[in-house]
Parts: sequence; C-alpha cells; structure tokens
Amino acid sequence: MSHPVALDEPGKRVVLMGNEAIARGAIEGGITLAASYPGTPSSEIGNTLARVAKKLGFHFEWSANEKVALEVAYGASMLNQRTICPMKHVGVNVALDILNPITLRGVKGGLVVVSTDDPSQHSSRTEQDNRWLGPHNDVPIIEPSNPQEAKEMTIFGLELSEQVKLPVLLRTVTRLSHMRSDVELGEIRDLGRKPEFAWDEFSYRVAGFEKLFRRHPERHGKIDAVQEVFEKTSFNELKLVNDSKFGIIGVGFAITYVKDALESLGVEDKISYMKLSTPHPMPAKLVTKLIESVDTVLIAEEVDPFIELMVTALSKTVNPDLVILGRKDLSFPREGELSQELVEAKIAELTGAHYDDPSRTEIEAAKDDLMFDRMLTMCAGCPHRSSIYALKKAVKTVKGDLMNVVVNGDIGCMGLAHAPPMEFEDTYFAMGSSIGVSQGMQQLGVDTIAWIGDGTFFHAGIPSLQNAVHNGAKIKIVVADNAAVAMTGFQTNPQMGITATGDKVEPIMIEDIARASGVKFVKVVDAYNMKEAEEAFKEMLEFDGVAMVISRRDCAMVAVRQMRPNKPVSYVIDEDVCSGCKLCLSGYGCPALMWNDETMKASIDTTLCMGCDSCAQVCPTKAIHRSDA
Amino acid sequence: MDTFKIVVAGVGGQGTLLASRLLADAAISSGMHVKIGETYGMAQRGGPVMGHIQIGGETNNPQIRKGEADVLIGFEPAEAVRRGVTYLKKGGLALINTRKTDPVEVVSGMRLYPELDELFGLLRMVTDDIRLFDATGIAEEAGDPITTNIVMLGSIVESGLLPYSEETIVETLKTGLKPQFLELNMRAYELGKKAYHSL
Repeated sequence: MSHPVALDEPGKRVVLMGNEAIARGAIEGGITLAASYPGTPSSEIGNTLARVAKKLGFHFEWSANEKVALEVAYGASMLNQRTICPMKHVGVNVALDILNPITLRGVKGGLVVVSTDDPSQHSSRTEQDNRWLGPHNDVPIIEPSNPQEAKEMTIFGLELSEQVKLPVLLRTVTRLSHMRSDVELGEIRDLGRKPEFAWDEFSYRVAGFEKLFRRHPERHGKIDAVQEVFEKTSFNELKLVNDSKFGIIGVGFAITYVKDALESLGVEDKISYMKLSTPHPMPAKLVTKLIESVDTVLIAEEVDPFIELMVTALSKTVNPDLVILGRKDLSFPREGELSQELVEAKIAELTGAHYDDPSRTEIEAAKDDLMFDRMLTMCAGCPHRSSIYALKKAVKTVKGDLMNVVVNGDIGCMGLAHAPPMEFEDTYFAMGSSIGVSQGMQQLGVDTIAWIGDGTFFHAGIPSLQNAVHNGAKIKIVVADNAAVAMTGFQTNPQMGITATGDKVEPIMIEDIARASGVKFVKVVDAYNMKEAEEAFKEMLEFDGVAMVISRRDCAMVAVRQMRPNKPVSYVIDEDVCSGCKLCLSGYGCPALMWNDETMKASIDTTLCMGCDSCAQVCPTKAIHRSDA
Repeated sequence: MDTFKIVVAGVGGQGTLLASRLLADAAISSGMHVKIGETYGMAQRGGPVMGHIQIGGETNNPQIRKGEADVLIGFEPAEAVRRGVTYLKKGGLALINTRKTDPVEVVSGMRLYPELDELFGLLRMVTDDIRLFDATGIAEEAGDPITTNIVMLGSIVESGLLPYSEETIVETLKTGLKPQFLELNMRAYELGKKAYHSL
C-alpha cells in the first residue's frame, strides 16, 4: 500500500499526522531535495519523505547531522530548487552556524527549515523555544495549529521564502507534530526547474565579494517585507467583538486551547481574540487593532513569553495602560505545556464565566500513591545492557571501585545506562559531547569513560575524538554500536552501507575512523559475548593512550524483525537449578525476566525473550539455557 | 453529532497506536472528522503510551478534556487505571486487558506491581462499567500475542458504542493491515468480538 502522502488525488481526505502533513506540504510545494537528521518529535517528517522519495522523484537523505543537512538543502536552494530541512529543536542549535549565513546571503529556491519544539520535554533534554531564533537571525517564523494548516503553511513557507529570499522556519510543538487528523490533499506540483547555480546572486567571482559580504541592510529590508506579508495573510485571524474590553491572543498551536475554551465556557461571542500564526516578525498593525480595543490581553503560547514581550514593547506606543497577561506575568506557568484545563480556568477567572474543574484531585492522589512511574528501560535483549554489565565488571576489576571513574554518556538508547538496575552513567548533555567532556576531565587527571552510540559518534563524535588524540588525553571510549539509530526509529547512518532511500553504498566503519585518527588501541567485540567484552574493556582501561572498544551487535528490535516470519528461540530457567538469588533481576534487569513469588524462582517471559544468551552468562548457577537445548 | 471520545492506554510496543489509527480511519470512511492526540515520548523503550481519539464534532485540540472520554480501551491494567481515573467520564465503559507488563521498577525488585483489586478500586470510583479480560491470551489463541490490539478492537466494536458501522471497521482492517497478516488479524478480531459477550 502506498503512503497517503504520495497520493496524486487532490481533494481526497486522509488521516495524517502533523509531521506527515508537513512532508505532504513539501511534496505539494514541489521540492526536489530534502535533507534531515532524525530526532523526536521531528523524525516522522523524514521517515515519510524517505518512503516516497524514489517514487516521486526527489532526493532525500538522512544527513550526518543537522548542520550538514541544512548545508545540503542550501546547496539545492542556490540551484533554484525548493527544499525542506526538518529537525528537532535542539538540532537547530547544531545547524545554527549555517542558518545565520543563509539568512544574510539569501536563498534562491524556497527553503523551509522545520523546527519541532518539545514543550514539557516529552522526549528532549530541554524545552527550548526556537522562536527566539527569529529576531536572532532575521528568519521569518511560521507556526501552524493543526495538520491541515501544517501542510498549507509548508507550501506558504516555500513560496514566501522564494518571494523574499530568506529561509523560513516552520515551528511546531510535539502535540501538533504527533497529532493526527483528516487532511484534504492538494495538487502535487512539479515545477520542472533546471538545477542551475544562480551565479549572479551567490558567486564571489560573478557578483563580486563586496556586494555579497555586508548584507545586514538587505536582510533587514527583507524581514520588513515579510512583516507586510504577515499583516495580510489569512493564516492570521482577528475577531473583534464590540465592547469587549478583554482580548486573547493564541499563538500557533495554542489557539486550539483558546478556541475550545471559549466555546466550552460559552463566551465565544463575547471576547475579542486573535489567532496568530506568524510570530516573527509579529504583524504589529494587526495586533494593534486588538490591543487598542481592549484593556486587558491574555496571551496563550508555547512555551516562552515571546509574543508577550513583543506585545509589551508594542503597547508602549499604542496602549500604554494595557494589562498584559501570559507566561511572564505567571497567569500561565513559566514552563511546560499549556492544557485545556489551564486555559479554560484562566479565561473563566478573567471573564467571570462559570467553570467546573474536571480534575479528580483525590482519586489522582490515591493513584499516584499506588502507581509506579514505568521508567524507561532498554528492551529485552538490548546489546547495550550486556555491554554495560561487562563494562561494570571490568571497571571493578581494574579500578577497584565503580566510583573511580566518571562515565560521561551520550544521546540515544545507550544513554539509558543511568537507569536502574544498571545505573552506570554520570552525565549526558548533547550529541557527541561524551568525548569532549571526558577529555576535559582527563586533561586534569580525572579518569573517565566516554560512553557513546554509533549514530551519535557519526553525528558529532569525530572532531572530539581527533581533538583528544591531538591533545594527548588518554581517554577511554566505548562505542555501544547497535548498527541502528534506534531511539528515533531506525534511520540510517554512514556505517550501515545503505542510504535513507535504500541504495547500497560502501559502509564507513567506526574502527577505521578511529585508527585513521591515531587511536592506537581499537578493539571490536560482540556485545553478547560478555566475557570477550569484559576482557577488551580491561585492556582498554589499562592502555596508556586513547583507547576505544566498539561493542557491536544489532539492535534487538531490528534482529527480531529480521528473523520474521520465524520467531527467536527463547531461553528458559531450570527451576531445579535456580537458587533464587535474583541477580538476573536486580543486577541485570532484562524486561523478559520475571519473579515468581510462589516458587521463589526467576522465570522468563518467552514472548519477550529474543534469545540473546546474556542472562545465561550472568546467572551464577547456570540455571538459564536455550528452550530447545 | 456530539464528539465521540476514546482514550487508549498501554505500553510501547503493544500496538496501541495502530489501533487508534484504525479507529480513526474507519471514522474518515464514514465521512466524519477525526482527531488523534498521541502521547508516547520515548515509549519504544517500555514507557507508557496514550492515544486520544475524537470522532465527529468540531473541537480544535487533540487532547480530550479530563473526565470526558466515553470509552477507555486499556491494553495493560495499570496503564488503563492511570489514564482512566483522569479521562473517563462518570459511568463510561472501561474495556481492559488484564495481562500485566511489568515495568523495570518491578523487574529489578525496586517495588511490587500494585494489587489489581486496589487498582481497579480506584477506577470504580469513576465507573461501574469495567470489563476485564485476558486479551493477550485470546490473541495467543488466535495465533500471535501481537494481535492483542485487534482483539481489543473486536471487543469494542461488539460493544456497539462506536459511532459507525461494523462493516466500516472490517473494511478498514482489510485495507489498512498488511495482506500477509490479514487472516491472523481477522481471527483475532472475531475472537475479540466473541469475548465481549462473556465479559
């Protein structure tokens, strides 16, 4: 079955996720190239594009990181091609170094950068609000409120980008990226443009260096032109109610809370409100119409008081006595997502409308007392679990105590090493940062282990590895290599020998990169062979120099998929041999293991067990064996 | 029509998202608007998953307001209670798979899985209409525990509460599932339907 985003059936209604709708918007807008780096909640945009790219005839790639992705997209734009570059909000930090010069130099073909922000940190280390990049870089920011609008605004962004010659940043939040609703498809455009370098706009040789270099005045002119477009676009809506002295601005996705609250409270015809889908540059004339007409304005936005501060500045000249309520004045919490209840309660309080709080506070409290959190953990058979277990044993032997080494972890599934029962990770910060921070500590005499995954190593681990070798810091690096960008849903990386769209290519091996970078101790072990891994870790820890062990084994989820239609041969526990010591549960903690209170023995859930053999290696009484043995 | 609201609760890997999608696709086929809000974070690693499905109506936000869900489909007992006490309306139907998925806190011995009676006691403060069954056991009977989601779907269809016809959902299954697994899934669907009457 072909994916609905590839359907050439204008007018048809299909259920699309916000992220899929963005992919469809890019396709309808006539892109010929898309480049991305995966990261929740953005990954489904790239996943979708990857699935249909060949069929629809455009290039899609999972680039090495977000900066590379944006550079690739910009290359296409300078050839007068439309292009999209989706990433998660913190990915834009990585891409910022190229985003800024793009805004200065300008674009030719429409270029939309998608930033999927994550208020409440559902799956991120920060809830940073990327709308601040608008004023920081003079990049226009558009913020849709539902999947249909996400599709339309992606097309709008491509057109606007081309019209004003700036990249456009389309910003979503997790709730929009991951919501699904019916979307009416439009026409897929084939612009049929020949890829030709716009020499007169970008070439130092043709246009002249001086003309291209100092561009801030041009950039300011462009962003002012964008503001005029935003004053008129129908994506913004203003509803003024006569005599209403109270107004609301709902920005981007937050308008959905506002509209539902007004209806639910029965005050939709009594209050002036504005749907603001273009936060930067804020359409000042349109906002003025609202704030001139009211005494108090409430601003609902995710997640920083961005528009609240812009309105505060604007009100100084147009309505100095305006009372401005929002995130900054703590009418809404300073951090975290809004909710229907928060917005409804606040509007009720300000308007005197009747509101019944639906929260069941007492039952919820009793539930919280009774219930576990269900902490994240590595999957049954995850090779990272056996790697960590072996690493802990090696550290104990060589260093005497597990606390004699700082374990700097990294982003990805392997980052779950901090979770019980493994609990063998002290820090993680940013993609690839395990190696750099380990070097800083090692340089001053504190022993470290950099614990990094294969995907993360390719993203940002290579410069820091070379930096450590160059500076003679004798850091120890363990690459937990599961041959998958697993955390975000199995995208490709350069070691896999296959591209995002399925072409076979020469794999680039991590051990080759390490050796070429001057690492004198490089060993590759099988993560499921815990004895072998432990020995290699010991050698690594004792080595006088930068040392790396690559603990390699396919991601368990991938392995099980590849076995289909066959099922893995599960392991079982011989109850006569099991001593009931619980080491497999409390020390190893694979989710396929269970405790039987009646027999006081461990057992294995054969529907979860994928037959990796690791727990059999952990068991001190050798009670665990293959079910067919 | 009023918006029909369903909360789906479970654990990553149980196929809750596919079940939500099938329920939504059937609504679209019947000419109704639909919204799904999905909360899963990094759920592939064993975390909780929740789906909010709103069929018909004109709401804008994909999240169901607290206490307004007409139906709770619980794929796992603790997750069903976690969401049910917050979102299920007074007297709403709670259809729950009793097969537990132990979290890492329980596997590693940090704490015990709460007693099911205590858990369901909390939910009973919201509704009397709680229907419990071993859907995973039925799925195993159908041929593969992975079809637990389709067993649940069969049961909820049989409840007669969904705002569209059974033909629509069967048609959706036939077009939305991989052909090589259709027979297995249809078996699970029929067993799920049958099971509803003994609940």
